[in-house]
Amino acid sequence: MSVGGGGGGAHAAIPHNNIIAFGLVGGLVGIYAAYFLVDMLGEYMSFLGALGAICGIVWGAAAVRRVANYGLGTGVPSIGMLALGMGVVAATFGLAVGGVAGPVIAVIFAAIIGLVIGVLANKVLKMGIPIMEQSMTEIAAAGTITIIGLSTSMVGTFLFDEVMTGVITTGHIAVIFIAGGLAILHPFNANLGADEKQDRTLACAFEKGGIAMIVAGIVATIMPLASGALTILVGLAVWYVGFSAFYKRVKRDAYMITGSGLLPSKEELE
Amino acid sequence: MEPLTSMGVMALIGAAATIAGASEDLESDVGSQSNPNSQVQLAPQMMYPHRIFNKAISGEPPSNALMCAIGGTTASVLMSAGASVILALAIGAIIAAAIHGTYATTSYFGRSASQRRFKQPIYLDILRSHLPVIMGYAFITTFCILVVSYLMIAVLAHPFSLPLMAFIWGITVGAIGSSTGDVHYGAEREFQNVEFGSGLNAANSGNIVRRAESGLRNGMDNSWFCAKFGGPVTGLAFGMTVFLSGWITVLFDASKGDAIGWISVIAGTLIVLILTIWNRNIEVAARKAFGPYKKDEEAEVAA
Repeated sequence: MSVGGGGGGAHAAIPHNNIIAFGLVGGLVGIYAAYFLVDMLGEYMSFLGALGAICGIVWGAAAVRRVANYGLGTGVPSIGMLALGMGVVAATFGLAVGGVAGPVIAVIFAAIIGLVIGVLANKVLKMGIPIMEQSMTEIAAAGTITIIGLSTSMVGTFLFDEVMTGVITTGHIAVIFIAGGLAILHPFNANLGADEKQDRTLACAFEKGGIAMIVAGIVATIMPLASGALTILVGLAVWYVGFSAFYKRVKRDAYMITGSGLLPSKEELE
Repeated sequence: MEPLTSMGVMALIGAAATIAGASEDLESDVGSQSNPNSQVQLAPQMMYPHRIFNKAISGEPPSNALMCAIGGTTASVLMSAGASVILALAIGAIIAAAIHGTYATTSYFGRSASQRRFKQPIYLDILRSHLPVIMGYAFITTFCILVVSYLMIAVLAHPFSLPLMAFIWGITVGAIGSSTGDVHYGAEREFQNVEFGSGLNAANSGNIVRRAESGLRNGMDNSWFCAKFGGPVTGLAFGMTVFLSGWITVLFDASKGDAIGWISVIAGTLIVLILTIWNRNIEVAARKAFGPYKKDEEAEVAA
């Protein structure tokens, strides 16, 4: 993919700071709400963790969009994988040492890893992208929230022992890694081009977040402390709303949507 | 286990992997994923709008890893709920193919909509006709990868879990499809209008063939072309990778003693050496037979 954005800062209808607040606050509130409400009300509240993960996914996709607009074409998927790579390290560390404060510690630790990688990219590799440090910090934190959110939704808690036995040793971490990673990297990759729009890309991120939620729900059906049915249903609803919003914006932005037809004529192209 | 039974299982694994490799490559060709995608993406910008599916999900390894991990996870959940193995693997592959379909849809819509200023239309008939093909190939790939992973775990006692195993084989099949099969589509099919083997001149960038034997070329025409060589050769490459890497430890089982374990290492090294020498000989023979581009130089002198 040789054409990677306009080579400058990305235009945004929604201010990026609002998205950061949405991802960080929404993500942590979702994760903690799932943790406490599963204890208080029952395991069916575990779906809230995946809603928190969707906040992280949207934030991550917005951050990937900002940094990838500086001309990263084939680098977009790599950045998404990097996000979840940093996220896995930070999440396991944070949950292992933090107890109830685990998610907060994990996000702080992720931000530090992201900052270091951003500094290395700009100062050592001399990539020269002005927002690299900030974006890497954001992407690492968003990836961590996505992993912890989906894990919480799968096992009903983020306590390390349960996550270890229910998510990591069972291998479900693989699907969290790749479904979360693609949900973060795919939206900008799928909308890459000269007429990319922020709201269309983020609508796509919501939709892919819905899919990650459905997958988390499938796993939750066999977990004792989590409930899969509600997670799958809410995931389907998020997917439907996200896809409708995305298709509405595709219709708004496309040159032409036609049932079938020939190629545009030479006169039309001029 | 009896070595003969293990070898039979390895043969079955190799056969499933061969099918997975072939269908993976054809799946990526229908949608122009991975390396050939850059020219499909570039074409409208160079005033060549087209009716070719633009499936920019991600590179092939991540998108295949997603399919296979979702299939493996769903199958392992169903099996732990008591479903039969075949049913669990089939339902896992169906869910993976459906999710892959949503990813293909958003990338076709998104990439085309982002080319508004280059007047690239979105053709809904392309989406309707290509999506079932993409999902069908995705189902075959995922099912075969799940068969490979399940046999390795259940019969050959591999310690990994099904979701993790499927994830790793998903990445591998995507990587081999990307490196082996893409050449046949990207370098040959997209540029059939230039002389074979002439390389891609910068002036030809984006000038991909847009008209077919009948009507306008689309992804299925490309899949038809690639099914003749690129797909099968990808299948062979992946099948060989899976079979040869597994075969040495099945025949020389390291669990029976250190000495046999070391024989498996030596056998593996020998296979790598033979393949390296064989490849080198093919390259040298091809250079002697076809290269370098003498005619081009003469033409430049004449001009």
